[in-house]
Amino acid sequence: MTYFIFFLGLCFILGALAVASNPSPYYGVLGLVLGSVVGCGWLLSLGVSFISLVLFLVYLGGMLVVFVYSVSLAADPFPETWGDWRVLGYGVGLVLVVFVGMVVGNFVGVGVQGVNTVDCGGAVSIRMDFSGVAMFYSLGAGMFLVAGWGLLLTLFVVLELVRGLSRGAIRAV
Amino acid sequence: MNPHAKLICTLSLITGSTITISSNHWVMAWTGLEINTLAIIPLISKSHHPRAVEASIKYFLVQAAASALLLFSSMSNAWTTGQWDITQLTNPTSCLLLTAAIAIKLGLAPFHFWFPEVLQGTSLTTALLLSTVMKFPPMTILFMTSSSLNPTMLTTLALISATLGGWMGLNQTQTRKILAFSSISHMGWMAVIIIYDPKLSILTFYLYVLMTAAVFLSLNTTKTLKLSTMMTSWTKTPVLNATLMLALLSLAGLPPLTGFMPKWLILQELTKQEMTVTAVIISMLSLLGLFFYLRLAYYATITLPPNSANHMKQWHINKHTNPMTAILTSLSTTLLPLSPMMLTSI
Repeated sequence: MTYFIFFLGLCFILGALAVASNPSPYYGVLGLVLGSVVGCGWLLSLGVSFISLVLFLVYLGGMLVVFVYSVSLAADPFPETWGDWRVLGYGVGLVLVVFVGMVVGNFVGVGVQGVNTVDCGGAVSIRMDFSGVAMFYSLGAGMFLVAGWGLLLTLFVVLELVRGLSRGAIRAV
Repeated sequence: MNPHAKLICTLSLITGSTITISSNHWVMAWTGLEINTLAIIPLISKSHHPRAVEASIKYFLVQAAASALLLFSSMSNAWTTGQWDITQLTNPTSCLLLTAAIAIKLGLAPFHFWFPEVLQGTSLTTALLLSTVMKFPPMTILFMTSSSLNPTMLTTLALISATLGGWMGLNQTQTRKILAFSSISHMGWMAVIIIYDPKLSILTFYLYVLMTAAVFLSLNTTKTLKLSTMMTSWTKTPVLNATLMLALLSLAGLPPLTGFMPKWLILQELTKQEMTVTAVIISMLSLLGLFFYLRLAYYATITLPPNSANHMKQWHINKHTNPMTAILTSLSTTLLPLSPMMLTSI
């Protein structure tokens, strides 16, 4: 159903808006969570469920966790944020859960691309993205090495930028 | 800077540039650009001054946005055409986005605002790296996709770059910012001809790298960061200041120095393509740049008060000159008679 995909896109924009407009990053990161969750839903709508799960795992389980740990050491005691938007958050979460349940259980149709098997329906579809990941380990080994070096380089760059304690670049001269 | 970190960053710069230059798949090109961006960030902020940190953040944000635009353009092309070949970019939206992405990467106006500030925040050698090595992969991508770029946008960007590079350089007193605006205006010259004769654009880039490296290394010998230092640097290295004058006039594009060759050939090609108005406008706009090059050259060789005697050279010189400076300066002043050989070998 195209309206569902449109709703996912809307939530993505709202999540990005929440990140960009929130004066406190500790609450703005919730917008990132919303954006990445609906981004996973968007990927599901294209049929690449494995990549969607990888995004979920790496983004929410990896990067967001690292962000939370690192800001928990440096948080200010009373960050300013929007008004009390818990009620709004609960309402949006409820609607989203109901929608996703209906899509996964094939009660509401989603425009999934790919081959339909006997027992597929809803968000369960043929995974076309496994072969790409498998290529990473066979024919695409060069790209694997390059991507691995890129990620390792990111680590080294971040360590180099934040080294030095009080002598480093984070404290002003 | 920590030698291990410096080694990793330098090796990654070489790796990233090589990956992008030798790629035929968009994802590899993007990966090389991202590796380059990441690897140069610690090199920009290595002095740990707040200005250097600000420069590295500005550089990272701009280059990351440009890489994202490049990836988006390649992905939308792959969506509509089903292939990722760099030379087969056919979707019109992708072509427009790619032109914008490369313009942001190179520092073409109106995406040039980050460039002078980033160069001002770093040392002269890192500024040299930023102006030459970091421009090499985007220029290669421009060369490979030259048939699929948007001509109107490129010519507009080129003319605006030549305007802003010349005009905004007029009020500068810091040499790194002056060289940043010179780079912006040279990138404009390269962008104006890339569609009609890509090899001329590459020739312009190579000669620009030669000339600007000569100027940067000469300035680095005396650590001349502003014009007032330049006025008294002749006492330390008189011959270097004389050759610096020649290298600066070569950057300005005056015959019979090397810098005249790319401008001459570009104007010839533009007139052959019946773009005489563009050729006239861009050559008039480079006169603005000529003013500040002449001012730099004048200050490099002048002997002004309060120096009382005609000849006040210091008796003991401790400025070690890199041999590369001599080689690059000779090349940047004497290559014009070899134009036929340069044209046929590029």
